[in-house]
Amino acid sequence: MTNISTATTLSAAPASRAGWRSMLPRWTPKLGVGLGLIIVITLFGLLGPLFAGDPDAVRDIGLTPPGGEHLVGTTQTGQDVLAQLTHATRGSLQIGLLVGVMATILSAFFGIIGAYAGGFADEFFSLFSNVMLVIPGLPLVIVIAGFVPADQRGAWTIAIVLAVTSWAASARVLRAQTLSLRNRDYVAAARVAGEKSWRVITVEILPNLLPLLASQFVFAVIAAILGEAGLSFLGLGASNSSTLGTMLFFAQNGFALQLNAWWWFVPPGLIIALFGCGLSLVNFSIDEIINPKLRDVPLRANEAPVASRAVPAARTKDAVLTVENLSVVYQGPAPVHAVRDVSFTLRRGEILGLAGESGCGKTTLAYAVNRLHRPPAEVTSGSVTFHDHDGADVDVLALAPEELRAFRWSKLSMVFQGAMNALNPVTTIGAQLDDVFTTHRPDMSRDDRRQRCADVLELVGVDPRRLSSFAHELSGGMRQRVMIAMALLLDPQVMIMDEPTTALDVVVQRGIVQEILRFRDELGFAVVFITHDLPLLLEISDRIAVMRDGRVVELGTAEEIHRAAEHPYTRELLDAFPSLTGERGGFVRDAKPLLHEGGVR
Amino acid sequence: MAYYGRKLLFYLAALWAAVTLNFIIPRLMPGNPVDILLAKLQQRGGSVDPSVRRSYELLLGTGGGGSAVSEYFAYLGNLARGDLGISVSVFPSPVSEVIMASLWWTVVLVGIATLLSFLLGVALGALVGWRRGTWLDNLVPSTTVLAAVPYFWLALLLVALLSSALGWFPLLGGYDVVLSPGWNAEFLSSAIYHGTLPALTIVLSSIGGWLLGMRNMMVSAMSEDYVLTARAKGLRGSRVMIRYAARNAVLPSVAGFAISLGFVVAGSIVTEQVFSYPGIGSRLLQAVQNNDYALMQGIFLVITIAVLGANLVVDVMYALIDPRTRVSG
Repeated sequence: MTNISTATTLSAAPASRAGWRSMLPRWTPKLGVGLGLIIVITLFGLLGPLFAGDPDAVRDIGLTPPGGEHLVGTTQTGQDVLAQLTHATRGSLQIGLLVGVMATILSAFFGIIGAYAGGFADEFFSLFSNVMLVIPGLPLVIVIAGFVPADQRGAWTIAIVLAVTSWAASARVLRAQTLSLRNRDYVAAARVAGEKSWRVITVEILPNLLPLLASQFVFAVIAAILGEAGLSFLGLGASNSSTLGTMLFFAQNGFALQLNAWWWFVPPGLIIALFGCGLSLVNFSIDEIINPKLRDVPLRANEAPVASRAVPAARTKDAVLTVENLSVVYQGPAPVHAVRDVSFTLRRGEILGLAGESGCGKTTLAYAVNRLHRPPAEVTSGSVTFHDHDGADVDVLALAPEELRAFRWSKLSMVFQGAMNALNPVTTIGAQLDDVFTTHRPDMSRDDRRQRCADVLELVGVDPRRLSSFAHELSGGMRQRVMIAMALLLDPQVMIMDEPTTALDVVVQRGIVQEILRFRDELGFAVVFITHDLPLLLEISDRIAVMRDGRVVELGTAEEIHRAAEHPYTRELLDAFPSLTGERGGFVRDAKPLLHEGGVR
Repeated sequence: MAYYGRKLLFYLAALWAAVTLNFIIPRLMPGNPVDILLAKLQQRGGSVDPSVRRSYELLLGTGGGGSAVSEYFAYLGNLARGDLGISVSVFPSPVSEVIMASLWWTVVLVGIATLLSFLLGVALGALVGWRRGTWLDNLVPSTTVLAAVPYFWLALLLVALLSSALGWFPLLGGYDVVLSPGWNAEFLSSAIYHGTLPALTIVLSSIGGWLLGMRNMMVSAMSEDYVLTARAKGLRGSRVMIRYAARNAVLPSVAGFAISLGFVVAGSIVTEQVFSYPGIGSRLLQAVQNNDYALMQGIFLVITIAVLGANLVVDVMYALIDPRTRVSG
């Protein structure tokens, strides 16, 4: 009756933007067990009273243990516990559903309307919700129930009081979500198009809030059943009502505990616990719709799986890193081959550009080289060999966890998009530079570490006083410089840069690229520079690899790529950028007929 | 600091709302509580002089006559002086004394239990989130059973099992009644012994919520770029987990403390009843059963102030662990 309908309304919910399929909970064992518990207990409460006898019939067989005629035993006055359970379950479910609906409506009203309207209404509704949230609910309910004489306490009174004291938390969640939805493009478009507010809310916003509303409703039902049980247990419930809480009240006052009549007080609580557990399990599945990151992963998430690997490559002259026939697959029902059979050699001190459109596998490749890939990604073949300047060859894919840890950053460091989220927002820049030394150079003194961090910051053009700053106090360009400083700390021989200048404005971008070139000249490390910006690569790289669909389709010197790109895809990429004179195709310098016009794709 | 100013202002507003609610509720309710109170008072041999009547009327409404506004300000004045009226169930003690006598039992019990459950829940949640995909994932669904168990029922089970059947813990009470309360080892150890089972109840019922919340945030934090950076830096796993992932994942748990605290307070009131613990929850129920309205309202106010205070402390701590609040306000 109560919660099967939750699940079905959710399944049938239309969703205009996200596609209704994504609103369906995924079928998992958890969902199955949850729904099973809910259905069984609901049927017990719905149909049980029809078959069970009179719950109030008094017999002279008080406190009979379970068995025989009375399957779950009898109470002190000889009433059948099973018959009482069926009626009590029905009572608890009714009040749970009633309060769940009312609390959800209240929270939707205060959460969604306020956030949508904005301005004063939002401020006021939000303040009101927050005040209601911090005022403790049950003491308030007890006080109100205390003032209402027992004979006037009906089920509705209790339901309303419970609903009024329990909506605030979910209103706050709904408000936050509505605020973010309100600023999405399609909602803005509907508003600009002059659609009425109620229409924008019901057609554009509500469908996207459905999973959240369903989850809040489920929580409200659990909270209501628990709240009512507590209230009834204290003797403050609705008069003449029969719920699992009142059963426990009579059990407690009939000294069930002292008389060891476990069959009297264990089953009512167990039904509440199992029903709540069922609802929570269903909520897990709803949470996975709201936050897809929570879905189950089959493998340990912190290891970089290597299924099979080849013998490490032999050292060639000048090489610092050799990648041979590397393949990376995202395992799953439909495996995705993100990197296919990639081979390249990085020479000492060279800048190797890695170009390609989004999704071509360049970032997966970069991560796999340092074994930073995570399940479901898996290295399925190939080798990665690092040629140390002291003459040792390191088979990266074969390193034990502790060796890999020591290898990272000291031999090969990385520069991520610092403008985004690569810096820890809650610790200082200094602490994040410093922990590289405390980990890799445990013998360094505190003063030496601090001095070196300050020096490196100065090197990249950031005031060393910034060591005590937090990421949010720096501009995007400064954050990127800090990321580069961090990569320089241990004098690595290879630096992998993943889109280091994306999301920065052109002037800052130029400054940072020049710094990188300067450091490379001074310090002599080799760089793998990943970007979709081919013209930038033409300018700074010694050699360029062009990737498409996981394969390196062309690898040559910048000059070769620039003047005489062989692969049609490379030409297409070059062609996609306008030259400064404004003619499209300005980067393809030869006079051959342009292949892309014939329709390469 | 703008952040602290705003928070302080908010809690003042919440306090005002609670005080006003306390003033309005009895006036909206049916019946005439003042007469009931005075009748009870007379039964106990208390003399009903006009000043007692007046103070009850300010608290509960006169049932006609007198302007509500002037009553409201007189009521606020009484509150400011700490005058909450006279209790009839513990006649002739003033309400404030009755509350003070039982408040510390609850503050210590609920305080320690909440702190323990928060620390344990967050630590376990961080670990379960970090070791995602291992057998530890099986812990997650079982926490939902714990979270859905009614506090008082769990208390009943623990008493039945650990006290009645095994005899490890006392059945009820806050201390051995042959001892007199005081700062001596004998009394304190008795109080700790008696408090263990109520505390265990609170910890067991509330730990699941912390664990699950922390685990979910941990899973989200682990896919953040800064965790990837930390791994690329070759930091030790424990350091990446604690300083990078957990340090960020704990923020929403702390920010959501207010919601959880409400559940804990509600649960512990009912739990105290099961254990006949001499705390403020049991007192509140006694007050309700005896129609001791003045005590009832006084206790509601004190619980609210304690909860608001705890939330204010948590908000101040939040500002310490999230540097972003300090600048943007």
